[in-house]
Amino acid sequence: MASNVNLTVKLGNLIFKNPVLTASGTFGYGVEYKKYMDLDKLGGFIVKGLSIVEKQGNKPPRIVETPSGMLNAIGLQNVGVDRFINEKLPKLKDVNSHIIANIYGTSVDEFVGIVEKLENEGLVSAYEVNVSCPNVAQGGALFGKNPDNVFELTSAVKNITDKPVIVKLTPNVDDISIIALAAQDAKADAVSLINTITGMVIDTKTKKPVLANKTGGLSGPAIYPVGVRMVYEVYEKVKIPIIGVGGIYNSGVALQYIMVGASLIEVGTANFIKPDITVEIIEGIRRYLDEENINSIGDIVGIAHI
Amino acid sequence: MELKIVENREIAKNTFSLKIENPALFDIKPGQFFMVRINGFNYPLLRRPFSVANFTGNYIEIIYRVVGEGTKILTDKKVGEFIDLLGPLGNGFDEIAENKKIMLVGGGIGAAPLIYLSSVLKNRHKTPYEAFFGFNSKDEIYVDFGSIATMDGSSGFDGNVVDMIEDRLNEDTFIFACGPTIMMKRLAYVCYDKGCGMKVSLESRMACGIGVCLGCVVESQNGFKKVCEDGPVFDFREIVWQAM
Repeated sequence: MASNVNLTVKLGNLIFKNPVLTASGTFGYGVEYKKYMDLDKLGGFIVKGLSIVEKQGNKPPRIVETPSGMLNAIGLQNVGVDRFINEKLPKLKDVNSHIIANIYGTSVDEFVGIVEKLENEGLVSAYEVNVSCPNVAQGGALFGKNPDNVFELTSAVKNITDKPVIVKLTPNVDDISIIALAAQDAKADAVSLINTITGMVIDTKTKKPVLANKTGGLSGPAIYPVGVRMVYEVYEKVKIPIIGVGGIYNSGVALQYIMVGASLIEVGTANFIKPDITVEIIEGIRRYLDEENINSIGDIVGIAHI
Repeated sequence: MELKIVENREIAKNTFSLKIENPALFDIKPGQFFMVRINGFNYPLLRRPFSVANFTGNYIEIIYRVVGEGTKILTDKKVGEFIDLLGPLGNGFDEIAENKKIMLVGGGIGAAPLIYLSSVLKNRHKTPYEAFFGFNSKDEIYVDFGSIATMDGSSGFDGNVVDMIEDRLNEDTFIFACGPTIMMKRLAYVCYDKGCGMKVSLESRMACGIGVCLGCVVESQNGFKKVCEDGPVFDFREIVWQAM
């Protein structure tokens, strides 16, 4: 019997057919996953972070596995915004799902430059601003660690687009809700959290860090309780929608994020292990709502708060 | 794709043969690999890349060495159990230079894909070739053809396989190689000296195997290349060996 539950989510002027997105950096440009799944089943997908010019990324080794997780320092290798528009987007013409461009820069001008290039691309539904990158004007301190920088960057991007702007927050801060509030004050349409948690692994044979970059970002199931806690905290403080991300590998964890306040969720590292895992998660959420006699996914957003 | 295990047994010291039923859905080129899921979520989390050591009408054979906790868990899989494979992936050893003197050179577990290559050369290309394999010691040998070198001298040539073959290489030689990075690096330098051609299969840490995580890159003459998608087989001249 067909299910009657309503999985649709509204964000800004966009309607998502379900709350499941894929996280930037784990889904290529979408094109790569076409042979493993039907992209149309997704609420949307967030492409690999785009910079104003092509980026080579860090030297290898770039990844190392950890218990129920992995540490990566890819260094945002990407084809750059121009090649994305000319080579990748045409291959996504027939996709009936929201394509969200994750954008990355080292100055406010670079972010603005990327958005200006993408603005007329109708296939791009929204932007996700990666603030976990060094701000050259501030001596390389991450944008995302300073509420003033996040406010300035978000405002600059909001000023030049009518598409929804999502600000992706780093968990590597004292109080993530202060950063989320800065994004809200700058009229961000949503915040997504969490990005990866900074970590390090040592090779005891070489007595040196495994990763060429020394540190890397921890992702995977190991980090989900941190993400759930941070979404919980941010939901108490902000009014804009929250997108939950970090360690989601099944519908149960996705539902935890939703119950602490996420309107949408992103699946990341799990895409590497099972390329069609998102389809299972969507079905799992639908089944849960059916079994619990809940009509709409919106009914359980934030339900864990008393 | 969940496929049934038909054999999983130790064939040499810490070295296992895993045979999986052939679902008759695809062909496999020598040098291609599968991403094998050891367990469900969450430990170990990532799939492991394994090249194909044999492919017959009945089964796909993977030969693996127990190097860590993931491969240790894999040894516990029983005949009749199902295992989740993604693949076949990567480019494989193709463009067989039939007018050259072909040599297969493998080290340790890197000999595995060359076993399958040898059977394709013999049965499909009807091309003559010589094979040379290096192991640490006699008890690690799992091939039943070719010339053997052992580091401890317990079988065949006493020393490493590159030393064994160095004097035989010239402009008319074309090598297909797979082995530890340090050995491939040494072999690459020898190939430059001797003017021979070589296709080399590289190993790398991988998370996805399908070209999206960008974790497995190596430095090439044209920037970073993905071992999973641009390789795992490369012309040795493409690789910046100093960086390896």
